[in-house]
Amino acid sequence: MELKICHLYPDILNLYGDRGNILCMEQRLKWRGIDVVTTGVSVGEALKAADFDLFFIGGGQDFEQEVLLPDLAAGKTAELKAAIEDGAPVLAICGGYQMLGAYYKTWDGQQCDFTGALDLYTEGSPDRMIGNYAFTCEELGVNVVGFENHSGKTYLGSGVKPLGRVLKGFGNNGSDGTEGARYKNVFATYSHGCLLPKNPVLCDHILKTALARKYGSCDLQPLDDTLEQNAHQYMEHRLLSSN
Amino acid sequence: MWYNYPMMIRVMLSILACKLCRRALRLLGRGGTDFPGRVALKLCPNVLGVLAKNVTTVLVTGTNGKTTTSRMIEQVLADAGISYFANKSGANLLSGVTAEFAAHSTLTGKCKYDYALIEADEAAFKAISRFVDARVVAVTNVFRDQLDRYGEVSHTLDNIRIGISHSKHAVLCLNADDSLSGSLGEGVDNQVLYYGVDTPIYKTRVAELSDAPYCLHCKHAYVYDYVTYGHLGGYRCPNCGYRRPTPQVSVAKVLVSDAQCSKVEFALDGKTVPATINLPGGYNIYNAATAMAVAQALELDPKQAAQSLGAFSCGFGRMERFDIRGASLRMILIKNPAGCNQVLNFLTDTAEPFVFVACLNDRAQDGKDVSWIWDVDFERLVAMEQLTKIVVSGVRADDMAMRFKYAGMPTDKIEVIRDYSQLVKSLIQEDKPVYIMPTYTAMLGLRGVISKEYGFKAFWE
Repeated sequence: MELKICHLYPDILNLYGDRGNILCMEQRLKWRGIDVVTTGVSVGEALKAADFDLFFIGGGQDFEQEVLLPDLAAGKTAELKAAIEDGAPVLAICGGYQMLGAYYKTWDGQQCDFTGALDLYTEGSPDRMIGNYAFTCEELGVNVVGFENHSGKTYLGSGVKPLGRVLKGFGNNGSDGTEGARYKNVFATYSHGCLLPKNPVLCDHILKTALARKYGSCDLQPLDDTLEQNAHQYMEHRLLSSN
Repeated sequence: MWYNYPMMIRVMLSILACKLCRRALRLLGRGGTDFPGRVALKLCPNVLGVLAKNVTTVLVTGTNGKTTTSRMIEQVLADAGISYFANKSGANLLSGVTAEFAAHSTLTGKCKYDYALIEADEAAFKAISRFVDARVVAVTNVFRDQLDRYGEVSHTLDNIRIGISHSKHAVLCLNADDSLSGSLGEGVDNQVLYYGVDTPIYKTRVAELSDAPYCLHCKHAYVYDYVTYGHLGGYRCPNCGYRRPTPQVSVAKVLVSDAQCSKVEFALDGKTVPATINLPGGYNIYNAATAMAVAQALELDPKQAAQSLGAFSCGFGRMERFDIRGASLRMILIKNPAGCNQVLNFLTDTAEPFVFVACLNDRAQDGKDVSWIWDVDFERLVAMEQLTKIVVSGVRADDMAMRFKYAGMPTDKIEVIRDYSQLVKSLIQEDKPVYIMPTYTAMLGLRGVISKEYGFKAFWE
């Protein structure tokens, strides 16, 4: 078996530790004897969505976002939207998550149109929502721990579901208790950086989704996740036992 | 001359309170500089302006290398026979800098030294430069750093730009090879001295993400004639023409770069000046170039300044060496991917087997977000034949252990020792050199143990 991962804009959307998510997916496949090839597709390079089994989009800095918008509009948006509708698994984080929505409106009223692949939008706020946080993901029956750092507040439309409910921290907007978004096989979250290593259940679920879509049903053999669980439990305990 | 008596009393009270607080903290065995400084500022908000008046001040700021560069400049000043003081213990925020000035002044606010050498936190620099009319401002570089504290690189750059706008009389020493901080010389009336490295430094480099792949002005991708490390090197924008300026102080040749030192040739004023830099690592070649530029800005003899680079000592977690009962421990502070990758670049050039230790904390001074460890090319470290064992410690030891697992280290070769005292006790049993990479508060903790249990100096001495 083999998975082909597309890493969109690896040289732009690579804020703090997003590489860790790719590494985590690659290693957990390799440890099970499944081949994996990751290909970066950046500005000026054509995206052929049919060539890939899984898409990863990370977070970026505001400065470079302006480089990216015209490039998305020049063809990648259409490819990505079609792939998502067709059930391609996508993991999108922070800026990548916002990018899948309809638009981003800055707090002084300027609107930036995004891909519109998902029924959600984001509004800038003057304050940043920063810190370790935790949310519960009912679909998987687990708590997810991560780190969020965003000033955009994301609001979900009726066409998408949240990925989880905030247990500690801010989540999508700091007010409605939702975190991230789920639509078909898209997993989107504000948990930037090393989301997957510390949440191996979520990582394996995404990998399974991709493998099942490509090869029919699929069982992943279990791995020794002692170190992963240690890191997960440390943060979960620290966040949730304090009040 | 004092003629505003209420003001004078206020300044004196502020200085007195600061000195007393500092003394009291020392008596309690603590080395804080933040609290005394805050007391002084509370009593007299512009006390720093009074204290820094008539003192020739060199301000050093930037993301990486501030402390090492300051120690190099310090040696240059000392060897030139200049009377100076420096903020040694990393007190680099407004409060700490105020406390340092107060400590080195009389009660009436007169500085006991001619020069002040001040390392300024890049976010605090603009507040400090409002009160300190610097003679020289040196910027080491701008890299992505703790995002939770500093925000994006463009934010850091903007902050430094504001700080420079307060420094009307300063000569600016800027890094020609850094497309980010090098831009600070554009559109200013200040005299600008660029420094840089004209040649690649490392034989092989770890895989690094560039923090600035796109042109600062037109967002077109840069083209590089050569890269020294990270996003530093001979960059140019093929679209708008923004490019590396020609440095006035440059490292023309890197002759030797080994585990002990680097030997280089500087080119400045049409002359060649050889130098031995007694700290290893390519990033210290940049720090040395910054120091040489500052010497030039102060019109000091370059030959003598170059000699000082071979005589300075750094300490405080910058390749700091502790020889304890036959064991050799080297401590190298880490705080962001760029700095950490440079240490790995250095280790790839060492021939002898070593033990690697990472101490990861996530307090405010370390950066609360530890996800940057995934951007460091630890895969390269794990692949080094010289690496015999990895030990992890600190509040986030579990995250660190997991990072090394995913980098390919067999889990039975990753040891977790949370307690610093236990950790040091275990490390001094090693017969191989031990490289310890702690984050800031982990370094303070480890140094505390080493000073208390093995008789090394405490950090504020």
